[in-house]
Amino acid sequence: MSLLTQHLGSQLVDLGSALLLLTCFAIVAQRRLSACVDLFALQSVFLALTAALVAFLTGIHHIYIAAALTIVIKVVVIPRILKRVIERLNVTRELQMNVNVPTGLLVCGGLVILAFFITQPIIPLGFLLTRDSLAIALAIILIGFFTMIARKKAVTQVIGFLVMENGLFLGAAAAAYGMPLIVELGVFFDVLVGALIIGIYSHRLQDTFDSVDTSKLTTLKE
Amino acid sequence: MSWPLVLLVTAPVIAGLGSLLVRQRRVIEVLQCAKVGAMLAAAALVAGQVIAAGEVSVEGFLRTDALSAWLDLIIGFVGSTGTLYAVGYMGEEMDRTHLSSRRYSQFFCLFDLYLAAMLLAVNLENIAIMWIAIEGSTLSAALLIGFDRSKAALEAGWKYIILSSVGISLALFGTILVYYSSEHVLGVSNEALRWSQLYRVAEGLDPGAIKVAFIFSLIGYGTKAGIAPMHTWLPDAHAEAPTPVSAMLSANMLTLAVYAILRFKAVTDRTVGPEFSGKLIIGLALLSLAVSATFILVQRDYKRLFAYSSIEHIGIALLGFGIGGLGVFAGAWHLMNHALAKSTAFYGAGLVFLRYNHKSLDRVTGLLSQMPIAGTAILVAGVALAGMPPFGLFTSEVLIAIGAYRAKPEVTYVFLSLLTLAFVTLLYQVLRMTFGAPGEAGTALGRQCRIFTSAAVGINILLLGTIGLHVPPGLEALLASIMKIFGGGMEAPR
Repeated sequence: MSLLTQHLGSQLVDLGSALLLLTCFAIVAQRRLSACVDLFALQSVFLALTAALVAFLTGIHHIYIAAALTIVIKVVVIPRILKRVIERLNVTRELQMNVNVPTGLLVCGGLVILAFFITQPIIPLGFLLTRDSLAIALAIILIGFFTMIARKKAVTQVIGFLVMENGLFLGAAAAAYGMPLIVELGVFFDVLVGALIIGIYSHRLQDTFDSVDTSKLTTLKE
Repeated sequence: MSWPLVLLVTAPVIAGLGSLLVRQRRVIEVLQCAKVGAMLAAAALVAGQVIAAGEVSVEGFLRTDALSAWLDLIIGFVGSTGTLYAVGYMGEEMDRTHLSSRRYSQFFCLFDLYLAAMLLAVNLENIAIMWIAIEGSTLSAALLIGFDRSKAALEAGWKYIILSSVGISLALFGTILVYYSSEHVLGVSNEALRWSQLYRVAEGLDPGAIKVAFIFSLIGYGTKAGIAPMHTWLPDAHAEAPTPVSAMLSANMLTLAVYAILRFKAVTDRTVGPEFSGKLIIGLALLSLAVSATFILVQRDYKRLFAYSSIEHIGIALLGFGIGGLGVFAGAWHLMNHALAKSTAFYGAGLVFLRYNHKSLDRVTGLLSQMPIAGTAILVAGVALAGMPPFGLFTSEVLIAIGAYRAKPEVTYVFLSLLTLAFVTLLYQVLRMTFGAPGEAGTALGRQCRIFTSAAVGINILLLGTIGLHVPPGLEALLASIMKIFGGGMEAPR
């Protein structure tokens, strides 16, 4: 690979990772649940593109499979399941949050800095092509985590969890040039089953508590 | 190729799928009893092979060293008595028409997949595939915890799945970081994720990356092990799950999570020395002890009481591993004895719940005279869990205190004072529950339930008593090999 392609490739991978990070901020700022699901699907598209780019630049072909699975599962299947849940539960907007939007965005900014700070000593270890992706991956994981804490609705907590998973995949695909294929398949399977189970749970919560507002879960306390 | 190892992992899968397909209660019972026999024999044979040969493996996919064999014994044996107990307990629920035959077979399918995922996880060689198996056990446990579908069970299940998913995601990031640093040495391939290879090249890995990776896996798997401050799901899940599941969560799943932490610790210690991981683990272990000792004091629910006691004991075992050396021996010994004692305690608690249909600690007295099996289970397990001789937990706690004193005396003072607090409260509550005059009549248990649950309690107490004060030679050989994996620890000559 010529130096020029290498350089251009590295820039493109960085661009893809940055777009993933940007959609995270959009999710934190968005109150409408269906829009959050759309943003998650968009983020997964960026993830698949970035992964495919890494596969093309490095010639490690099984990353293509991971990218294709991302499209099928995270862009098509999971968003469809979530939309159906939202429709059935008849919740469209999240009016009350544990942390309001401006504060949330500020916190996320802080989390990005934290992620770069944590990964600073180990970034030089990575492959030249995808060096900064590790820091961005950690930032996405932390923001997903934050979303789970900041929001009250079961559906947005699921989205937070899925955003965390996207961060993990970026970390695996971009920073580490893809985990071995069997690992990626297994992780995909687990994510799918996990999302299904969380979906089942939010249905049952709705039926039992008449709400998917998890702040109403207060029976069990010390 | 080790056939017992293959049998150990596949027996629960076959029994689970069979239970889902047949749906007749008697057939499921026979199937489950066959599984119990297979698991007991396979776990013992695997341990025997490991003692004789050091390691056994299956085509580079499964690999069992002394540490894995130790976990095989714990999960295999406690999983077996747990299955017997579940047959009695769920059968009683069915006799009382709380449970349809469809739900009954679903329960056993989930229960077996849960056991299979745990047994697979401890025998896998690849740490990323181990993650997949552990996540599999998390997901099946989530469905088991919410199995009752009551408000409280759903809430506990939701809390569990959200917290565990976050925890396990962080653990995966830790695994990715290990790969990130090891692929430079071992190449972009499966090799870079095998623990046997990681041990071999650990000294050449980047210390910075391994330190960060260890922190992520400690917090991630620590959430699943229920160590403070990530323990908040644990008391709810243990209290609300059907009791056979509570017993398995406490005895097997927490132990499995500790196992995962230990695999990462073994790599980290080889790269940066035992001080780094030791200090982190000791800190979290003492925090868990402090939190659990405080909350044991204020419990009004007997299942939650035993749940907090699990946090305490996992903390004690981790303290042993954190100190290293003799502490590793004591920590592993503690895990096995705790698994036997805690499952016995939950078996007793479940029978009490079936009889009275409430979990209020204050309203339970005089168990020994009214319910001899449950009373004996709670009394023996309670005395063992409080750390009294002639049980193994006494030995391990003394050894951990000695190890801690040699390495870091200040840790011992904190450890012993917290231990005393937990000892007094637990023993007081257990004696109050078991002695005295019985309070209320409750609903008597069916004959079949009594037979199966007494078998489970009997086997557990027998094992607990046999291995009590002296370590059998076979187990001692395994413990010695486990100590070799971790080296001298903190108390190495200074």
